[in-house]
Parts: sequence; C-alpha cells; structure tokens
Amino acid sequence: MYKSLIELDLKEEAEVIAFNGSSLMNRRLEGMGIRQGKKILRISSQYIRGPVIISVDGHQAAMGRGMATKLIVKPAERNGV
Amino acid sequence: MRVLLMGNPNVGKSAIFSRLTGSHVVVSNYAGTTVEYTRGFLQLEERELEVIDVPGTYDLEPTNRAETVASEMIAGGELIINVVDASHLERSLHLTLQLLLTGKPVVVALNMWDEAQKAGITIDTARLEQLLGVPVVPTCALTGDGMVVLKSRLQEARSSSLVSENGASLWQKAVDIGQKVQRAPERASTFRDNLDHTTVHPVLGPVFALFVLLLSFGFVAYFGNFLHEMLEWVFELLWLPVAAWVSGLMGGAGMLHDILIGTLIAGEIHFEESFGLLTTGLYIPLAVVLPYIFSFYLVLSILEDIGYLPRLGVVVDALMQRLGIHGLSIVPMMLGIGCNVPGVMAGRMLETRKERFIVGTLIAIAVPCMAQQAMVIGLLGQAGLSGLAIVYGTLFVLWMAMGAIMNHFLKGESPEMLIDLPPYRMPYWESLWKKIYMRMNGFIRSALPYVLLGVFIVNLFYTLGVIGYISQVFAPVITGLFGLPGEAGGALIVGFLRKDVAVGMLAPLGMELNQLIVASVVLMVYFPCIATFVVLFKELGLRDLLKLTVIMILVVIITGGGLHLLLQATGF
Repeated sequence: MYKSLIELDLKEEAEVIAFNGSSLMNRRLEGMGIRQGKKILRISSQYIRGPVIISVDGHQAAMGRGMATKLIVKPAERNGV
Repeated sequence: MRVLLMGNPNVGKSAIFSRLTGSHVVVSNYAGTTVEYTRGFLQLEERELEVIDVPGTYDLEPTNRAETVASEMIAGGELIINVVDASHLERSLHLTLQLLLTGKPVVVALNMWDEAQKAGITIDTARLEQLLGVPVVPTCALTGDGMVVLKSRLQEARSSSLVSENGASLWQKAVDIGQKVQRAPERASTFRDNLDHTTVHPVLGPVFALFVLLLSFGFVAYFGNFLHEMLEWVFELLWLPVAAWVSGLMGGAGMLHDILIGTLIAGEIHFEESFGLLTTGLYIPLAVVLPYIFSFYLVLSILEDIGYLPRLGVVVDALMQRLGIHGLSIVPMMLGIGCNVPGVMAGRMLETRKERFIVGTLIAIAVPCMAQQAMVIGLLGQAGLSGLAIVYGTLFVLWMAMGAIMNHFLKGESPEMLIDLPPYRMPYWESLWKKIYMRMNGFIRSALPYVLLGVFIVNLFYTLGVIGYISQVFAPVITGLFGLPGEAGGALIVGFLRKDVAVGMLAPLGMELNQLIVASVVLMVYFPCIATFVVLFKELGLRDLLKLTVIMILVVIITGGGLHLLLQATGF
C-alpha cells in the first residue's frame, strides 16, 4: 500500500517511491538523499501545519507539509504481518 | 589560476577556505552561511592561486539562488577542490561525479574525516582515488588536519576519464562507488539522536526553544550588564581623570571644550550626558554597547556552531508561515538582533522577492539591533522591567501584525521549507572565538567612527541651533502626536547615523517613563541607520525600498501615536 509521507505514522519506516512535484524540487530532494528506493523514517512533525522531519541515511531533513503530501512512500512491512 | 571550492551545503567549504587562504570568513553549522561567493588567495610555492568559496550546491543544474551562483561560477574555474562530507559519502559523490564530468581538473577533500571515524565509518581512500581518477585527501578543516597534504596535492589535480552519464545512472554510480569504498556500521541510537528528537518534538520542541531563547536573552542581558558595570568602573577609574585634566586645560568651557568634553553636569564630567567626543563618544560604544554585543555574539555563535538554529527554524516554521516566510527566516532575524546589516544580507538565503521583502521590512522595523537595545536597556532598565516589557511587547506585536498583513497583501510565492538538519556538534572553540572576534572587530571598526561622527554632529547642531529649528518644524508630530519634548526631534535626526547615539541623546532630556517608552519605540521602529538603509537598497532595489519606507513611516506614526494615547489613558 502506497501512501504519502504525511500519512505515514510517527516512527514508521518506509521506502521512497516517487515525488509528485516539480522536477526542480525532485532534484533538490534527490540531492538531499531523498530519492526512489531510499529507506526513510518519520521522526516527528510540528503542530499547526508545521514541517515533517524524517531521517534518511543517518541524517535528518525537514520539509513543509505540501512537499510531504507529494512524496509517495511504501511503508515497510511490519514484523508478523 | 582560479580554484573553486565546491560541495554540498554544510560540508565545511568555508572552513577549508579559511584554512587555505588565511582569510577570515564566518563558518557555522548550518546550510547557506555562504550565499555569495568569497574570494581569497593562497600562496603555493611560487604561484599565487585565487581561491573562491562557492555557495553549497547539491546539483550543477541550479534549483535555488545559491546554486545558481554556484553553477555560474563553474565556467570561470580552472581547478576544483570538491569538498565531500566523509560521513555522508554517497550523496556527496553524486555532485563529485557531476563535477568530474565537466572535464575540469578536480581534487577531492574528504572533509569531516574525524566525524566519520567517530561514527565508525571507514573509507578506502586509495580505492576511491582509483575509481574517481583524481586525488582524494582526508581532511578535518576545523582542526586543520590534512590541509598540508591537500595543498601539496593540488598540482596532481587532473581531469577524470569518466564518461558522460546522467540522471538515475549517475546516482547508481555514486551508490556503487560508495558501496565499494565505504564500510559503515549499523547506527545505534545515541544521546545525540535523543537530543535531536527532543528538540524537534511537536510538544517538547517548542518548550525547549522557549527555554533556549529565554536563557539566551537572560544571559545577554545579565552578562552584558555585568561587563558594562566593569567597564564603567574602568572608565571612571582610568579615563575620568584624563578627561577631567583635558577639561581643566581648556578652562571647562568654550566651543572646543563642548566638542571634546561636552557639557559639564554640576561642574563635573558625566559620561552618559556630557556628550563630548572624549566622554560620551567613547563611553557609549566601548562601555555600554560593546559588552552587550560581545554577550550576544557569544550566545549566537554557540547556538550556530552547535547546530541548533535550523531546528529552531523547524519549531517556529508554523508561526512564521503566517508571516509569509518559512522557519529558516529565523536565521536572518537572529543575526539582525546583533546588527541589522548582516541580518538583511542573510535574507538572500530566501528564494523569492516576497520573502526577502518581508524579512527585510520586519528586520528594519521590528528587530532593533543590539547597540540600540543596550542603550534602551540602560535608559529604561533603571525604572524596572515594566518599561522594557512594554517596549519589547510592542515590537513583538508589530513583528507579527506586519508580517501577517504583508503576507496577506503582497503578491508572490512563499515556498515551504526544505532543509537538512545538521548533526549536533560540540563547538570547536578555536573557530568559535575567531568568529566572535571577527564580529566584534567588525563592530568596533564600523561603529566607532560613526558614533564619534554622530556625537560631533550633535554638538555641531546644538551650536548652530539646528536642533531648535528641527524641534519647531517637527513639533506637531513629536510633541503633538508622540507627547515628547521638542528636543527629542534631534535624536530622530541623529538616529539616521547611529541609533545608539540617538538613544543616548534622550538621557539628558529628563523625560517621564511613559515618554521614554514612546521615544524608545519610535527610535527603534523608524528609519534604520544609514548602513542598514544602504544594504536594504542593495538587497531589495529602489522600488521595494521606497515601499518599505512608506510602510515604515505609517507604522511609526500609528505605533508612536497609539502608544502615547494608550499610556496616557491607562495613566502609566
């Protein structure tokens, strides 16, 4: 099941599938290591429409919610499911 | 020969630049410290190399302003030092491959080598050198390790024989190379991770931010005051006898006496009120402002080097979005509290004209510089905290309201934030002190002459009767609207030059607390000093500067007049 980063639960791991935004933004995300096939972990988010924080490749990145809704991910299968 | 230092944001290019050239540049632990390029020179044997610190970039095809600068620079470079973050090899290599494909001679500096080692990452540099076809040198720019080797291997730089590939295959290549040369252990959760999570936690994050900000400002206020009292003591002990001797020599009066020593208060020199070049002219910048500037830059530099500012940006993002700017705009704001000039310049890190206009306007109007704050704290602090609370409260309300209004009415985009959060680091004290020293030095060199000029002009104005004339002309506004004595008009004029001198002019006027509050707010809000004005012109252009000026005049009239009426009505 694919979902957007915004729908990903806290502390949930997922694999990046695609970014449905401008190619410019996509290149910037790629440069930061957020690209297809990468494992990411949602660390935190801020209230009242603040940014979402993820961990990728051992470093952290923060992105606005608009971007996070466009980042499509596939949650990792949980143990025993 | 022109050498370009290129790499991802926040990999230490500026630190390497500083090591290579010996020039001092500001180095911090967050992306985007360098927005424009910086130039320096490196003497290598017989040759002098021109070294350019290029803003950080992820991609040679630009995706933002800093990257546009970077990609424009590349044509003029004859040699590229590609700075790579050894602890994040894979994504750094993507840019490395792009650089190699330009055909320019490249040397790779594997920077932050110490950090990679601490994380248990090992990199086979010989193998990496072989795969890339260019020299690879491990470095740690903060401590200077590896810099000698880096310099000595610059001659070996050569074009790589890599063939052109692009898109996904370039990433695949970066991944392949990374896997061949790097061994990285599974990361265990560390104290740093927990701190990371706490400081961006939805609930604890804002609490932590509030705590840090209160602690910081408390420290600046108390430590600044402590240093101020010490320096005041030194002034009274060592400088007062000298000034008194000069005063006696000139017979205690006369035009030259007025300019050098100023007016004697009850037959004695008064550092705060005499207003001579050798008395108030030295006392204000060195004994009042400098202690607070030092305390502020100490705290700010520590917060910068630890890596907290981007996280503060994350926490305040939701709030700042309402003002039409994203969370990272907190960085220009914080710099602006020290001095508006670097604050406005740091606004360049923002992408759109709308954002830069909002940040510039908010800094110019609602973010008073530390020099001004030091004087206001001195002026109002004697009467307790209530006056200061009203002044700062008013500024905060203005900041929020103006941001929200501008966001509503201005056309243009306000992009969302997208930012790498740098790892928390212990500050490296040598570079921390160097940074503080540079900032202090910058203050003394740029402020002291202007303060002296300001004091001189004040005396000239009084002698020529200009202040009296100004008071008459502006009386309807200054007395009628703001409820201030006419002489305060002189302070508004001098405020163009230096705000600290202007606040200093209020001291001898014998105003009531409510008048002092209104005068302080009016001085803080209206025209920034000339230096800030020039930078605003450079950054925003004439049209936006005029727009800003109109907004400013409206705001100062409404705020000053409103505050006067409010304080009067409440009988404050």
